[in-house]
Amino acid sequence: MASSSSSGLTFKLHPLVILNISDHYTRVKSQINPPIAPHNTTTNGGDAVASSVPPRVYGCVIGVQKGRTVEIFNSFELLYDSSTNSLDRPFLEKKQELYKKVFPNFYILGWYSTGNDAEESDMLIHKALMDINESPVYLLLNPSINHSQKDLPVSIFESELHVIDGIPQLIFVRSSYTIETVEAERISVDHVAHLKPSDGGSAATQLAAHLTGIHSAIKMLHSRIKVLHHYLVAMQKGDVPCENSLLRQVSSLLRRLPAIESGKFQDDFLMEYNDTLLISYLAMLTNCSSATNDLVDKFNTAYDRHSRRGGRTAFM
Amino acid sequence: MEPLSSSSSSAIAQQTWELENNIIPMESPSSTTNADDSIFHYDEAAQSEFHREKPWINDPHYFKRVKISALALLKMVVHARSGGTIEVMGLMQGKTDKDAIIVMDAFALPVEGTETRVNAQADAYEYMVDYSQTNKQAGRLENVVGWYHSHPGYGCWLSGIDVSTQMLNQQFQEPFLAVVIDPTRTVSAGKVEIGAFRTYPDGYKPPDEPISEYQTIPLNKIEDFGVHCKQYYSLDITYFKSSLDSHLLDLLWNKYWVNTLSSSPLLGNGDYVAGQISDLAEKLEQAENQLAHSRFGSLISPAPRKKEEESPLAKITRDSAKITVEQVHGLMSQVIKDILFNSSHQTNKSRAETSGPEPMIES
Repeated sequence: MASSSSSGLTFKLHPLVILNISDHYTRVKSQINPPIAPHNTTTNGGDAVASSVPPRVYGCVIGVQKGRTVEIFNSFELLYDSSTNSLDRPFLEKKQELYKKVFPNFYILGWYSTGNDAEESDMLIHKALMDINESPVYLLLNPSINHSQKDLPVSIFESELHVIDGIPQLIFVRSSYTIETVEAERISVDHVAHLKPSDGGSAATQLAAHLTGIHSAIKMLHSRIKVLHHYLVAMQKGDVPCENSLLRQVSSLLRRLPAIESGKFQDDFLMEYNDTLLISYLAMLTNCSSATNDLVDKFNTAYDRHSRRGGRTAFM
Repeated sequence: MEPLSSSSSSAIAQQTWELENNIIPMESPSSTTNADDSIFHYDEAAQSEFHREKPWINDPHYFKRVKISALALLKMVVHARSGGTIEVMGLMQGKTDKDAIIVMDAFALPVEGTETRVNAQADAYEYMVDYSQTNKQAGRLENVVGWYHSHPGYGCWLSGIDVSTQMLNQQFQEPFLAVVIDPTRTVSAGKVEIGAFRTYPDGYKPPDEPISEYQTIPLNKIEDFGVHCKQYYSLDITYFKSSLDSHLLDLLWNKYWVNTLSSSPLLGNGDYVAGQISDLAEKLEQAENQLAHSRFGSLISPAPRKKEEESPLAKITRDSAKITVEQVHGLMSQVIKDILFNSSHQTNKSRAETSGPEPMIES
């Protein structure tokens, strides 16, 4: 059926949610794998590696919806109630109440689970959530590690009412999403993922880290542009069928350069620049006075004459 | 450059960094995932055995290391940052492994501004119990092993109230750990500012240990810091992540490298920088007075200046150098971005040769 959503909602996903689900999954898995049986699916957790039925974990995603933008900030774990084939409702309400106290602005946006693809039974869970949020989202994370994969194994589904064989039915449709971070979140993700020195670090390593970060981002941009370039060249040669909508997108992307070209920006940019130069000038002055102070101290020690006391007025 | 080769070279860079920065992925070359992530398994029996033994009772310096999971770090930093300039706090869940405290997860408490409250614990106690119970049901079996709170803008150390809170908890809640995060400096410096501490028991005289890493502390807090700084010690922090985490984090980079380019530390941190500079100015003034005094003093009794302590001026120099370095870093990224996206010369060129729009120079 419809493969992509038409609701026009923009989804923004924070990395915290992804890590939270990943942790939830890893935790449940490591707890199951030694002896205990899982609480939901019937895993014969022992011999097989990843091909055996992996545990499914369930939880709730919370965040903020502003207009047509849905921003998913956080998530929490939920229990699966096998008797009703749905999520444990009292537990959910309890959790919701707890999270409300700490994050009063966040609302329940939907739920998450792990697996390869959305399943039939997922719709039951999905429907059950509709009294809390009338159009919940379903975030699915595929926990199997596949190193050839280039994309995040995370999909967001919305439900849409479609008429199939004359019967109106809710089906899952995939929505696109972007990864959104706040500055502090970005730094900590960098910190745990790679790049950033974990402690102190001299100015040199900090600089190296900073530049490496920028370098790898630019490299990424470069490789993306390369891909686009290759595609365009292939299109020109006729190897790839000409696709106008794509060409239009590429052209509008290029038209955006230069990103900001106004006198106002130039002024502000220069001001910023000069401010920073000024700060380094100040730091330099402090450094100088400190060095001079040291020198005077040494001088005083070397030529210790009590009658002389002129040294101190010379600085600061 | 093929995307493939670029990703492999970035993998090498990443490995170098991970080596240099004690980030230990829980991943071994053999790819059976359940073996790698053994740290995520909670062994109730072993933990309660450890609790019975209480090896920390005899040695106030027993715990030396902290391992923080990627998830816990992320949760704590995001929570700390969400508080803005208000202090926020929360609790950490985890376990112990010999002399290391392992922090698996963290959760926020509905308490703000711990500095002004005498006992935040009472308010949050009920919440804590509720939360831990629901968490246990959801398969998070670890107990609370500590608390964290934020010091927005004034560094990672324990204040007097923090020390007494921590001391109380170490009496009744062992093993217990205190973590302090500075979200403002995290953003300013571009790296996570975090500290893990444990207090010494009352009356314990710590052996002379190497002075902990120097950090900038604002003038109005320096007294609080100085009085209590001998009552606790800091623990080494390392981080770990599961194999799935590192896999996801790798892929995440493919999605969000844009954020590295689109963010600017200069914008969000104007207040902090201005505050730092005015603080430095005050400190300079104080140092000047002190200097004048010490000169007169040395005339009367020519006692040699204490060597082991850095002169206040040298400290100020370091502080100012630090803030400058951060600013210059911020400016550097701005300049790079300006060259990348704003230089009209490159755009003209790309418009001229429509077949090859390549606004960047191969490095």
